[in-house]
Amino acid sequence: MTSAHLALQAGGLGQDLPELERRRFLFVTGKGGVGKTTISGALALAFAARGKRVLVAMCNTKERLSAILGTRPIGQEVTHVAERVWAVNISPDKALREYGEMVLKVRAAADLVFDNKYTRTFFRAVPGLFEWAMLGKAWFHTTELLPDGSPRFDVVLLDAPATGHGMDMLRVPKVILDVAPPGILRRDAEAAWAMFRDPARSGVVVVTLPEEMPATETVELVAEIRGELGLPVHRLIINGVLPPLFSPEERRALLVDPGRLDIAAPTRAAHTAESAIVAGARRAMRESVQHESLGRLRRELDLPTVILPFLFDEASTVAGTRRLAARL
Amino acid sequence: MPGPLAPPRNTPPAVDASLLADDAGLAPLLASRRVILCVGCGGVGKTTTTAALGLAAARRGKRVLCLTIDPARRLSQSLGIEEMKTEAQTIEPARFERAGVDVPGSMTVMMLDTKSTFDSLVASLAPSPEQRDRILGNVLYKYISTSLAGTQEYMAMEKLYAVRSDPSYDLVLLDTPPTANALDFLDAPERLVGAIDSAATRWFVQAFQSSGKLSLNLLARSTAAVLRGIGKLTGSGFLEQIAAFIHEMNAVFGGWKQRADAVASALRGPDVAYVLVTTPDPLCVREVLYFADRLREQEMRRDAFVVNRVHPVYGAIPGAAEIAAALDGSGLALGPGAAARLLQAAEDESRMGKLDHLNLIALDAALEDEQTGGSVRVDVPAFPYDIYDVAGLARIADVLAPLPGAAG
Ligand SMILES: Nc1ncnc2c1ncn2[C@@H]1O[C@H](COP(=O)(O)OP(=O)(O)OP(=O)(O)O)[C@@H](O)[C@H]1O
Ligand SMILES: Nc1ncnc2c1ncn2[C@@H]1O[C@H](COP(=O)(O)OP(=O)(O)OP(=O)(O)O)[C@@H](O)[C@H]1O
Ligand SMILES: [Mg+2]
Ligand SMILES: [Mg+2]
Repeated sequence: MTSAHLALQAGGLGQDLPELERRRFLFVTGKGGVGKTTISGALALAFAARGKRVLVAMCNTKERLSAILGTRPIGQEVTHVAERVWAVNISPDKALREYGEMVLKVRAAADLVFDNKYTRTFFRAVPGLFEWAMLGKAWFHTTELLPDGSPRFDVVLLDAPATGHGMDMLRVPKVILDVAPPGILRRDAEAAWAMFRDPARSGVVVVTLPEEMPATETVELVAEIRGELGLPVHRLIINGVLPPLFSPEERRALLVDPGRLDIAAPTRAAHTAESAIVAGARRAMRESVQHESLGRLRRELDLPTVILPFLFDEASTVAGTRRLAARL
Repeated sequence: MPGPLAPPRNTPPAVDASLLADDAGLAPLLASRRVILCVGCGGVGKTTTTAALGLAAARRGKRVLCLTIDPARRLSQSLGIEEMKTEAQTIEPARFERAGVDVPGSMTVMMLDTKSTFDSLVASLAPSPEQRDRILGNVLYKYISTSLAGTQEYMAMEKLYAVRSDPSYDLVLLDTPPTANALDFLDAPERLVGAIDSAATRWFVQAFQSSGKLSLNLLARSTAAVLRGIGKLTGSGFLEQIAAFIHEMNAVFGGWKQRADAVASALRGPDVAYVLVTTPDPLCVREVLYFADRLREQEMRRDAFVVNRVHPVYGAIPGAAEIAAALDGSGLALGPGAAARLLQAAEDESRMGKLDHLNLIALDAALEDEQTGGSVRVDVPAFPYDIYDVAGLARIADVLAPLPGAAG
């Protein structure tokens, strides 16, 4: 059996990994649609089960975390969504304003700046400002304290935007350090950047799928995060791995006749026993690609890896999320 | 190596079935429009759909230009496209021949690159080489030209605008950048114009020009307070730097707004088609429906919906015993318990297929309500492999726009 199969049976590789939940701030990133939000939800449940207080911060998205965790829709306010789990969908306008109020101290001064219709439009012109507002807000949550002096959240998970925009966001503090003169903005960007780069306090979790293109892009993404940004990557999560049904020899046998992979084949074979053979050939093809992609990720990325199963019709459900959390 | 830049002349399609109407799927769009835009959420198959539609048109004798973004490496390799090159590259006819695909037209690919499009726009509009170099060398420009929200989308349209009346092509297809939100694409020009050339930026630039940073008190008191507030946040001099830069951009781009308006209205013309690409994923379907509504609001067409990666349903799947019997007859040598595992494979995929069909109900309903009655919907099955070559694209082209007389 393949190592993926072994890993699935062993319930992931979680045991001997350095504990993710000791970090205060984690970015969950990856290509669009690979399961970043799903994994953020599952990680939050897993950390909470280990006694941590967790905040999942999303960046102004059409949020689907509420479906994943089975809760009410999650808005711009921090909401309690499960035992020891909170979530928020950060609004850049609101985050920027709160930041302004904090800096300017006087509310009236903030009103003057932020209620001015010109400044509002102008802010949109400043590249990276909204990204910084959201990132800064998420980071700010790591600094909040409860009345007893303990942190409000032990871990903040940032469900980052997909690769392109996500990288832009991660890059922003660095850009600010590049271009901004000394001032509050720069001071805060420095503090946040110092935390993000500190592997003991922060780091990146990269999510991918066992498919060719996502695997290729992930190898590049990891190189970019480590190289260009110099941020620590703590975990590779390979999501949506099919439990293999066929051995390599069986796969080869099933793939001999290309007619079975024809897109019309499932319709032609419907209702007959041949349908199972067609489905077998299609599955064998996917398993081959998966096998190769897993191999490549293992060879080319020297990263602690967790393999999560494909959920079929349990995707985007609370039950599915719990199943993933159990493996994290 | 790609052939000469000028694609071969248009030749009529060598199809026997020329008496049959070529009106299945998206074929009418290929015949009647000059520009086709493929939009949708990230990763749904926009690039694949664009390339497959291009091939479908080239098979019908059209000289096609595909403006594309980030094609998968394996796809560009198999088409013989150099990845980092932003000039037009015509696919060698031999690549089609080798795949057994008859292509009387031609297919040219141009890779969209935001920064180089922006750079050449600056270069062509700047009144003097000095001003051009000043802009291109500005630190802020570096970030604006690559990471200002909407730049990528806007530059895609800018490029489209530039090539759409090029007489060397009969059809121009635009692949759009991956956005979390498909709507970003429509809003991009407005946002970018708002950022660079708007009352707000003019106000800022004027405030700084008339005041300099030392004479804030000459300004209206409220304005001065606003600027001082922001300055406190950003540190001194930063805003002035931004304002000066925007001022310079504005001088160069003078008619930026008119230009964006021209681009936007060109996208509304009768020769433009919108193809909305989605997967059965509910969030994607929702997104594409929002997008369709937005197009309708703006009196733009929503010509076609492509639902990509629909899983099959195998109907009533026979039991393991019957499968075992079929296996014996098939000459396939599989290990013990194979029949049960094959059954599992069929059940697994049917589960996904059923879920896909449930998820598409919302789209069915929306299309039934369709007042215009004009939109076409085509479902593209999930292939068991990635689409990475001419043969694969041709299979998708057969689904999107079947040739007349072809089986099915
Ligand atoms: N393990 C899994 N098995 C099957 N389906 C999954 C799995 N994980 C996620 N999905 C499905 O994949 C889709 C994308 O998931 P999700 O929204 O978590 O991805 P994302 O990376 O956050 O996407 P985006 O880039 O759009 O934010 C959803 O339909 C989800 O239900
Ligand atoms: N019908 C299909 N069946 C199987 N695989 C497909 C199908 N359509 C596309 N793919 C594969 O899905 C992947 C993503 O497709 P593609 O690059 O076209 O998406 P995209 O919408 O352009 O993505 P992005 O938003 O990142 O630009 C590719 O590897 C492609 O080969
Ligand atoms: Mg997400
Ligand atoms: Mg694409």
